[in-house]
Amino acid sequence: MKYVDALTDISVADIKVDLMRTAYDNEDALLNSFDPRVVLLWTVLFMIIPWLFYDTLPLAILLAAAFALAALSQVSKYLLALLLFGQVTNVGFFVVLVPLIGGTVRAVGHLGENAGRVVAGVMAGDASVFAETGSIVAAAVGRGIHTATTSQEVGIDAVGALVPFFLKLTIISVISLAVFSAMSPQKLSKGMLRLGVPRQLTFAIAYGYRMMPLLVEEYHALINSFRLRSKVPEKQGLFRWRYFYYLLTLSVKAFYPLIFNVAKRARVTVEAMETKGFSRSLGDERSQALRTEGMMVRTRDVTFVFGSLLFVAAVWVFT
Amino acid sequence: MSSNNIVVENLTFRYPGGDEAVLRDASVTIEPGEFTAVVGGNGSGKTTLCKTFNGLIPHFFEGTFDGGVTVAGTDTRESDVAELSKTVGYVFQDFENQLVQETVRGDVEFAPLNYGLDDYAERATRALETLGLDHLADRFIWELSGGQQHLVALAGVLAMDPEFIFVDEPAAQLDPRNARETYEQLRRLNEERDKTIIVIEHHSEFIADYCDEMVLVSDGGVAWKEPVEVGLNRLDDLLAHDIHPPQVTQIADGLPTEVGTLPSGRYPVTVDEAATAFQPAATRGSRAAVDGGAVATGADAAGLTERERDGDAVVTMRDVGHGYPTLREGYNRVLDGLDLELYEGDRVALVGANGSGKSTLLRLITGLESPDQGAVTVLGRDTSETLPEQLADDTVYIHQNPEEMFVEDTVRKDVAYYLENRDAPNADERVDEILAYLDLEHLADRDGRLMSLGQQRRASLGIGLATDPTVVLLDEPTGSLDLQSRREVTGMLRKAESRVETVVVASHDLQLVAAWANRVLVMGEGEVLADAPPAAVFSDPDLLAETDLRQPQVVELSRRLGLESPALSTDAMCETLARSFEDDAFADGGVADVGDVGGDVESNGGSR
Repeated sequence: MKYVDALTDISVADIKVDLMRTAYDNEDALLNSFDPRVVLLWTVLFMIIPWLFYDTLPLAILLAAAFALAALSQVSKYLLALLLFGQVTNVGFFVVLVPLIGGTVRAVGHLGENAGRVVAGVMAGDASVFAETGSIVAAAVGRGIHTATTSQEVGIDAVGALVPFFLKLTIISVISLAVFSAMSPQKLSKGMLRLGVPRQLTFAIAYGYRMMPLLVEEYHALINSFRLRSKVPEKQGLFRWRYFYYLLTLSVKAFYPLIFNVAKRARVTVEAMETKGFSRSLGDERSQALRTEGMMVRTRDVTFVFGSLLFVAAVWVFT
Repeated sequence: MSSNNIVVENLTFRYPGGDEAVLRDASVTIEPGEFTAVVGGNGSGKTTLCKTFNGLIPHFFEGTFDGGVTVAGTDTRESDVAELSKTVGYVFQDFENQLVQETVRGDVEFAPLNYGLDDYAERATRALETLGLDHLADRFIWELSGGQQHLVALAGVLAMDPEFIFVDEPAAQLDPRNARETYEQLRRLNEERDKTIIVIEHHSEFIADYCDEMVLVSDGGVAWKEPVEVGLNRLDDLLAHDIHPPQVTQIADGLPTEVGTLPSGRYPVTVDEAATAFQPAATRGSRAAVDGGAVATGADAAGLTERERDGDAVVTMRDVGHGYPTLREGYNRVLDGLDLELYEGDRVALVGANGSGKSTLLRLITGLESPDQGAVTVLGRDTSETLPEQLADDTVYIHQNPEEMFVEDTVRKDVAYYLENRDAPNADERVDEILAYLDLEHLADRDGRLMSLGQQRRASLGIGLATDPTVVLLDEPTGSLDLQSRREVTGMLRKAESRVETVVVASHDLQLVAAWANRVLVMGEGEVLADAPPAAVFSDPDLLAETDLRQPQVVELSRRLGLESPALSTDAMCETLARSFEDDAFADGGVADVGDVGGDVESNGGSR
């Protein structure tokens, strides 16, 4: 059972800390040292730029740069791994899916072509019809497999066509991960407020940051609570799938009590917000001004934006 | 402003949709500079009463509101919550949910920023400095301990510099040491900054030590408001509302009047007062105390543990090391090379400062976590090789926070959950029996999360009891138990005694430890610092100091009275004192002594 425990508690603790580090430990992150408005605008810019490239090489260079940025922003290695896993399986999926669909279509087509003969044979009640039906099905399967194997290349071609697309998506994902894990919520809220985002939304972001670790802990505790009162399946099945299926069921079930608990917390929070003058502050200009003061676009912010644009231009020119 | 007080006049209030009025014709006046405790049983309306002070009632909860509340000359109906909150600061019982920003400084600045105050940063700095939190200013809220979070909530209130500070049940969610820290801060605010402090409090020992006025809320009305010394002497009123009088007051009540009372004719309410009041009796009878009830308890306990050492250990821990990764300090080793055996019949109290590994030890026994190093064996099964679900056949773990044990939407379903999952025969009967035993029948169809803390606690015990365990692990809530719940915990433990072999309670409640345990494990520095019967642990003040534990009043009183072996319960103390009094009832001189010293205490008490 050791490896199960390794999966369920040691790594849970490690992943928790790693995610916490991503979300909260951003004092040394590069992006956090710039003016939040500049970073937000820069992000929007770089959501668009990848779409201007069509070749694999420049996109790969941009992706490498995005990863470098992510490293400087201390993005969780688990999150990056998850992202990469997602993209790679997506691509792999096409290698499998294209031939599979091709083969199936071919086989079904063959069956359809011969459907008339089968139906006629059945109507006639001739005993030989079963042998004939068998041979038709066998031929259909054979053609399907043949198509599938030959269209492997088609699949790979399809993937080839999709690689730039996936690269673009990955670049955008990595950049947004880097930005949102590097910027402290205060800075983020400040920048967004100044850019005219409503206060309720920026508060929600800050509040989310505040509550997230609490919810993670509570969720873990609830799963444990379920485990101590449940029964494991007696037969564990192949690769212990029953056991893992059971854990999966629990982890879904645990969301319900979690949601109830959140709702309960919210009751107190809403009252407390009232005593802290939140609703009063919504229309208060002085409060808004104080919240967004002290932001300044400095040379280094400008340098950062132009530096990165210059890098993109260089990639454009030299590839 | 003509007057700086809070005046509640003939207030009747009914929550919207409520059938009955929660407050009925309540009247009370809080004078500036007071340190007032509001007490009352569950559902008496004390929190509702206090929520009228900052306008949450009637502005946030718009029920039927008759009568009036005036805060510093302003009728609360003519103001609003935001405005009133500048005068009345509120620290919620559920203070964790009061903190809405991600960093300490962010949260303390939150209110001043909302009010558009230019000096918000200085206000926050001042508030943090006042409470000694400046070194935590840039920490994230979730990194802090419960005690620190409570002080941050208080700092958030202080940043607005209100005249009145209202704190809802500080001792309910905090361990005794942190609660005391909060009270020390409140006392400083009261004395040095002239703040008026209002607390809702169940724990009369805090009331006796820190407050000077006391309001009893009963059945929606204010029964009386008295100075603390007078209020705490109304033992019948207190007990009728499930409030534990201080141990020393209970002892005094159990003694003949001549011995138990101060010269003014009332019972002592603090250890200081009691020490002077009982001193003559104790000195005269000090020889009697040596073979008094206190010693018997200690010897009995020691004998019991000695005897059980013969059998096989129920739980064995060999060279156990365990820890967790942390954000800032890397790997934090909580347990280090721990060796421990728990036997049948052990009633183990696990005590120690926060972070000393009490909860970790319990979780290791449940198998939810496997030790990083060493081995834990429960009833012959190695926890690293066994799933927690399988260990749960014989072991039950009752979570520190009852809410995290509620996985269903009614108490009944929650109690039945384990039985139904294991297809237990006559599950329904068992559930009914447990619900009846813990007096949960009327709550059976309610959602556990929406009940009061005491009721939640009871329900979580019910969930535990349903599993019919051999080993009970009880992670006590950080706040110490009140009279009611303590009775239930010991009741449940006794009831289960025929089947339960070993009980381990992680506890901050040294009164419970003193009264119930036969083996105390003092945790510290990743290992067991002491493993002894309660009497031995409590007579070692150095050990107690090292682990941040505070002696129960009865133990401290034993020491102050110079008893050789500490009494562990109020009854034992009464017996000791009464016997010595009878031995020497008519000795000369004693009465005069009492007069002198007692008079001193009176005047001290008066100045507080």
